[in-house]
Amino acid sequence: MSLTTTTTPADTPKTDHSGTDVAQRSNIGLRRPDHVTGWKDWLTTVDHKKIGAMYAIFSLAFLIIGGIEALFIRAQLSVAQNDLVTAETYNQLFTMHGTTMVFLAVMPLSSAFFNFLVPLQIGARDVAFPRLNAFSLWTFVAGAIIVNISWLFQAANALGWFTPANGMTDIVPAAGWFGYAPLTGDQYTGIGTDFWIFGLQVLGIASIAAALNFIVTIINFRAPGMKMMRLPVFVWMTLFTSLLIIFAFPPITVALGELMFDRFFGANFFRVEQGGQPILWQHLFWVFGHPEVYILILPAMGIISEILPVFSRKPLFGYSLIVFSGAVIGFLGFAVWSHHMFTTGLGKVATAAFSLLTMAIAVPTGVKIFNWIGTLWGGRIKFSVPMILSLGFIWMFMMGGFSGIMHSSAPADAQQQDSYFVVAHFHYVLIGGSILALLAGIYFWMPKMTGKMWYGKLGYWVSGVVIVGLNLTFFPMHFLGMIGMPRRTHTYLEGTGWQPMNLLCTIGAFILAIGILLFLIDIVRTIRKGPPAGNDPWDGRTLEWTIPSPPPFYNFAKTPVVRSRDALWADKHGSDAVRLGSVDAGSGGVHMPSQSWFPLFASAGFLLLGVSMALKSAGVPYCGYIAIGGLVITVIGIYLWALEGPGGYHVHPEEEK
Amino acid sequence: MFRRNYQRIALLLLPLLLAGCNFNARQSFMDPKGIIAQKQYDLFMLTVWVTAAIFLVVGGALFWTVWRYRERKTDDKDTLPSQSHGNPMIEIGLIGVSVALLVVIAVPTLREIWFTHDVPDDPESRLGTWFDGETAENTDDEPLIIEARGWQWWFSFEYPQLGITTGNEFAIPEGKTVKIELRGEDVIHSFWLPKIAGKVDMIPGRNNYMWIRSDEPGYYYGQCAEFCGESHAYMQFRAKVLPEEDFEKWVAQRRTAPPAPAGEDWTDFMTLSANNPEALPDNDAVKGARLFFGKGTCIQCHAIDGTMAAGKLGPNLTYVADNHSLAAGWMEHDNPDGSINREKQLSNLYEWVRRSEDIKPGNLMYYGTGGLENVDLSDEEVHQIAVFLQTLQ
Repeated sequence: MSLTTTTTPADTPKTDHSGTDVAQRSNIGLRRPDHVTGWKDWLTTVDHKKIGAMYAIFSLAFLIIGGIEALFIRAQLSVAQNDLVTAETYNQLFTMHGTTMVFLAVMPLSSAFFNFLVPLQIGARDVAFPRLNAFSLWTFVAGAIIVNISWLFQAANALGWFTPANGMTDIVPAAGWFGYAPLTGDQYTGIGTDFWIFGLQVLGIASIAAALNFIVTIINFRAPGMKMMRLPVFVWMTLFTSLLIIFAFPPITVALGELMFDRFFGANFFRVEQGGQPILWQHLFWVFGHPEVYILILPAMGIISEILPVFSRKPLFGYSLIVFSGAVIGFLGFAVWSHHMFTTGLGKVATAAFSLLTMAIAVPTGVKIFNWIGTLWGGRIKFSVPMILSLGFIWMFMMGGFSGIMHSSAPADAQQQDSYFVVAHFHYVLIGGSILALLAGIYFWMPKMTGKMWYGKLGYWVSGVVIVGLNLTFFPMHFLGMIGMPRRTHTYLEGTGWQPMNLLCTIGAFILAIGILLFLIDIVRTIRKGPPAGNDPWDGRTLEWTIPSPPPFYNFAKTPVVRSRDALWADKHGSDAVRLGSVDAGSGGVHMPSQSWFPLFASAGFLLLGVSMALKSAGVPYCGYIAIGGLVITVIGIYLWALEGPGGYHVHPEEEK
Repeated sequence: MFRRNYQRIALLLLPLLLAGCNFNARQSFMDPKGIIAQKQYDLFMLTVWVTAAIFLVVGGALFWTVWRYRERKTDDKDTLPSQSHGNPMIEIGLIGVSVALLVVIAVPTLREIWFTHDVPDDPESRLGTWFDGETAENTDDEPLIIEARGWQWWFSFEYPQLGITTGNEFAIPEGKTVKIELRGEDVIHSFWLPKIAGKVDMIPGRNNYMWIRSDEPGYYYGQCAEFCGESHAYMQFRAKVLPEEDFEKWVAQRRTAPPAPAGEDWTDFMTLSANNPEALPDNDAVKGARLFFGKGTCIQCHAIDGTMAAGKLGPNLTYVADNHSLAAGWMEHDNPDGSINREKQLSNLYEWVRRSEDIKPGNLMYYGTGGLENVDLSDEEVHQIAVFLQTLQ
């Protein structure tokens, strides 16, 4: 279809209306990078769909990196007293595995879905703050690099090219993904902790910015008639997750800031000899850390709530209660953090309170599971790949939830805490829960994103191998915990009796890895030779299926008018009263946001800041100044971004259909 | 269909799984030998049964639903299934059942939280009278107190009421309440003796405690359960539950110095060693002792009670040869019948002093200030030290 482009007023239009696209000059006199192609387009884009795609690609890359770290861990543990890797390297591997999977794989993959889907599902053209959206992406990349570049410095150390001044050779973070003080103090760990602090701090900025963006988008950018109680459940879960992010990240920002001050400026927040309190770190971390796990699971629950109705061909059972229980989970998520601290000597009252509240949070979770089963009941179930993965999710998440209930009883938890029982629990909810749901979401929505339907039946094999692999790896870990194997241990004595099950877990891990490999192959084959998907390959229920696959860059030629929940389904199968409408295209056309270099520029400053502060710790000269320089770059970037003005241009898509 | 295949595979694997799982393994919390561990186990099994019941019901409902409502070839593609939106009554009912089941878990949970926290009076303790009233004050009803300290990467155990200290292995009397006060000396550690009790963390600056009691004499295995740095995996400990008379003997032994390798007593030995070393017998134990107190610089960190070795930075070595393990439980020298394998013990003592940096990476005996990294001992000398240490029984 042809477009005509007009520029926004405020500058002399340099186009004629025959369709030549010339970018505007911004308020600071530089040309906006609109209508560029290739790598310049990807680096300056503010299009939520492209940003979502980039989040997805980065997160899959980190899923692989985190997975390789896991395979090393499992290989090391497969036999007693193994020495595949040294103790220090092992400690780095499990630290990086956890940090990578939580912050660099699952969170950005959820973000990919938020980005790609939310504007489409609410009938909007883009998010509320497109440049801020790009900024979140690039800041995430900066944080990811800060944490992972430590591997390069560790390699340099192994080659003798780089030695930190204090002689401590843990350059990759090695204090666990939750970095307990005083172990993370400068007396006990080296610059690895500094890479970790700054990486996480920068990642936090990215998450908070994105969350603010999505909250505003969901509240303000809904299409006419899209009342809150007509929103797709995925959008509700995005909203709750975003609210969780903006309330949960400040505590960890504070904690990381305090730790940074301890390590760099002689503060004593966690230094016991000077009156500091290690337990303070744990409270701050877990006030963040517990809501964080709900941040990891709510988007997954949203995805499942979208997929089950489509492949049961009936509405979600108990929509209001599913939405409400999401809100309750988010709220109660802030009330249970010390269940991670049951063994720290909290005292009877606090222990009892957190125990009971943790049990309470099982209720809204149970509600969701009942309602998902209620959705299937009475339906006509089609066993597409997304449906198989969703069914696997319900099954696995239930099992993870049960071990969670076992943990909630504090006296019983005194045995389970810090053992492989916990490792089993959280891998069931994270892989059996979050990852399976995210895979289901990819199988469901990738045809929309790429315009290619899945090539062949490999998806069924992916589902089977992943589910079998996950169970074989993590089910025995419940027993390993029960027979006393603690977490985060480089090796174990043969007399403990842990070896047979460890070997089983390792075999399972490699099977799981094969499943993920098959998944990546499936994606590549589909992109290259998948058949065209069309607008609505699954007989969907929500607005994203009303537009072509892949969606045009402006999303909707005409803003839809919504008259029901599940607006597309109502349009296809409902009465006239609930049919989809559309707003007449006015003379203005669709207003597109201008692209910009400044989000990338500002994020680059963070990268410089994080890496140079860690190197400063290592004694590399002038790094303090470079760090300040990084901050200056960020500030200048944001300042110019503000000054350059919103920009924008119009397009006039012709009528389609 | 794939789901059915998955079920078949799971069923096949289950016996494989269970075969590898010995619930009597030496650190298993499924084999409680103490009252706290027993209560925790009972509560755990309650949660297992409750969740198993839910799993069968809800899982069963899921499977049944998926099977019953699957799309069949004979279905009319154009009609839709009934588009029900929900059923508030069912929802509320299910919420009610969930809450009821949680109450079933919550009530005993609260009871056991109180039980595990409140150190009971022990009217039978008669602590003072065990030891002929020698050291301890009149302490009727008071539990035996042990101060357990976690260091990178070993445990120390002090008995303030009895005036004794041990490293990495300790003993308690059968059937008596013991209160363990837990201290972290550098970073956070955790004291986990699964068959006796669940763990409590040793946090620097915090006065955590736990109480235990066991009615089953035996030798039990414990391990640090909070990541504490490079050699966290190598930080273990052992506990002996002894019948009362044996415990008394153990305490009595500990309160006397081990025999000196030569001379009438340690003072005699040290005097001879300083003034007239040729008068000493020419054997490895003597030579090892002289190295221990001299060139080896061991006494900077280690103590042998009753001698001039009073170092407080490393494990107390007073009766180290009575331990069934070395290097915080990591190096074992047991025979299958539970007795000590003296040959292996000697070899372990040698290896540990010779190359601790390989055995426990980063350890402070090697890398700490004044550590063995900078002490020049020949293999022969290390052997002599090992022989000497083995006399401490």
